[in-house]
Amino acid sequence: MVARNLCIVGLSHRTAPLEIRERLAFNGPEIGKALGSLKQSAKAVTEAALVSTCNRVEMVAVAADPDAACSEVISFITEQRRLERKLFERFHYRLAGRDAVRHLFRVGASLDSMVVGEPQILGQLKAAYAQAVEAGAVGLILHRAFHKAFSVAKLVRKSTAIGMGGVSVSTAAVKLARQIFDSLKDKTVLMVGAGQMAELTARSLVRLGVESLLVTNRRFERAVKLASEMGGTAVPFEHFRPYLKLADVVIGSAAVSEPLLRPDDLGPVMRERYNRPMFMIDLGVPRNFDPSINALDGVFVYDLDDLGQIAADARYEREQEAQRAEIIVEREVDSFCHWLRSLDLVPTIKAVRSRIEVLRELELKRHRSWLATLAPEDRSRVEALSRGLTNKILHQIVSELRSLGHEADAQFVAAIARRLLGAQGSDASRSSLCLREGGQGDDDPSA
Amino acid sequence: MTLLSFAALAAYLVASVAFVLDVWRPNERSMNVAIKALGLGAALQALDFVVGALVFSALPVTGFPRSLALLAWTTALAGLAIIVKFRLPLVGALVAPAVSAALGLACAGSGQNHGALPEALRSAWLPVHVTLAFLGEALFVIAAGVSFLYLIQESRLKAKRPLEIPQSRLPNLEKLDRINYQLLTCGFVLLSLAIVSGAMWAASTWGRFWSWEPVESWSLVLWLLYAALLQSRLAVGLRGRRAARLTIALFAVLLCSYVGINLFNPGKHGGSFG
Repeated sequence: MVARNLCIVGLSHRTAPLEIRERLAFNGPEIGKALGSLKQSAKAVTEAALVSTCNRVEMVAVAADPDAACSEVISFITEQRRLERKLFERFHYRLAGRDAVRHLFRVGASLDSMVVGEPQILGQLKAAYAQAVEAGAVGLILHRAFHKAFSVAKLVRKSTAIGMGGVSVSTAAVKLARQIFDSLKDKTVLMVGAGQMAELTARSLVRLGVESLLVTNRRFERAVKLASEMGGTAVPFEHFRPYLKLADVVIGSAAVSEPLLRPDDLGPVMRERYNRPMFMIDLGVPRNFDPSINALDGVFVYDLDDLGQIAADARYEREQEAQRAEIIVEREVDSFCHWLRSLDLVPTIKAVRSRIEVLRELELKRHRSWLATLAPEDRSRVEALSRGLTNKILHQIVSELRSLGHEADAQFVAAIARRLLGAQGSDASRSSLCLREGGQGDDDPSA
Repeated sequence: MTLLSFAALAAYLVASVAFVLDVWRPNERSMNVAIKALGLGAALQALDFVVGALVFSALPVTGFPRSLALLAWTTALAGLAIIVKFRLPLVGALVAPAVSAALGLACAGSGQNHGALPEALRSAWLPVHVTLAFLGEALFVIAAGVSFLYLIQESRLKAKRPLEIPQSRLPNLEKLDRINYQLLTCGFVLLSLAIVSGAMWAASTWGRFWSWEPVESWSLVLWLLYAALLQSRLAVGLRGRRAARLTIALFAVLLCSYVGINLFNPGKHGGSFG
């Protein structure tokens, strides 16, 4: 009996600090390659998708043996990212079966987000799914699991107020700006990098009165485009440093391997600014600004974790809505697990089918000589009669099996069914005598 | 000390309690009570001074307790103005207890009364000089309070726990820094005028502008220190945390010299300090 199981190995803002997460993050093109080589190296994993965002790095996998699969995935990720296995294991979590399904749905519904209800995660999950599909790593179960996660997210968003109004990382940043600056009108914002969240933050600041905006980005065209959209000025990435002294708010979201700005860079800038306060919002993972800049007088550096913490303080108001969302998620987890369990019955159903088909053929064979005396149309009539009879019996048995699988332990039900009919599950795939009916469609009983 | 002083003290104490409660449980009503109580205290003290002036036929400012009472009064007045003008109820939580403490000390120490003002000092210069000096000091006291708020806000932002107290309570850094600067500037102008008026008064009474009295010397020292602080703000861009710390440090010097001179060596100023 092949019980296929969903499992998840990973770490998130709940379990691991930013320092670890930023070392593990995979960017878009890397994910496809990683899934490709995972297929080669991890034998226990049959399907996989890699979710890598600022707040989480998770491998969602399907395997018969979750323990073996998790272990393979950990080896894989730590080798890919050159992280000590011990370090990874200290911060990671692994989930299997129902827990894994629930986790995936909760992530999609933004219940596991740093800021519960923030809408970005769904897009990120969709992107992760698309990348895995493209890498050919997604099979029946993951297809279904991800699509279900998307529809659960939609359902939660529609039927609870979880996404309403609340505090996101960018609004937290804006709130902080108002604790530092009295008026935003005469302030200058410098965007280093053009990440989505950075754009959101910059837009809110502009809405609140900021009139001077500088945008710099590695891809200059993108900086020009953003700047023209928001009424700012684009600055070449290579030459953005001289503009630092003008900037009261610096928003970092550039893709970097190590910090762009360090305390040594900021010291002279602050002197040139006559120590006017400076607010540095670091939305990059890995971080754009060395956190020790925060020790400088008059500079305030907030990274994603800091902002998330502040946003989380405002989160409790949404607790009520989140609880309603959890109920929805739980219901959907139930239905998905039923489906997953009914998949366990597929080999049994196949075995029962082939067993009865074998019996039918045997009977026909026994009367071969008599059948030969009949006219061709009578012969096909007898044939049809035998098939009709077995199909009627099969239909009853199979539908009973499936409904039983939803209620009770599917494996147990399957074992009884096989015993009653003298059909051995493991033989089913081998007894390829007559598998005319055991086609693709059987893999998905609900199809 | 008079009954009016005790009544004023009671009003200040009520204001202190209301202001401090308002920090933790902000609400419009307690705020109103606090501001009115502070104003009532100041009004009662003003009445007290008028009565005293009628009795002594000059502003009663001699002796440490009276000087303290006067300082409490100007601080309460200046504090009230700042709280209302800049919508800074938190300043009240610092100013009202300080004012209560000062007036409380004054009431407790009223035994060592130095009596009436010497005949030679009765002059129209007296109220001018004394008011300028004490208002200037009051502004420095409040500047120290505002600096203290700045340091709290700054350390919370640095420690990344900025939203614990409802944010409307604690103003933004830029505003606190600007208010600090304005208070220091005004205080400095008042201190300068006090010194000038004092010198003129001295010239008309004693025949010379400057006699290196303890009060005069210390005033000059403080004037130089505050001048240096303001100059660094303007020229070197001293601001924020360091400016706030220096403001508090200068306030400490001011307080020490004020207490020290009054207790040990009042000189011709007879216990007042300006």
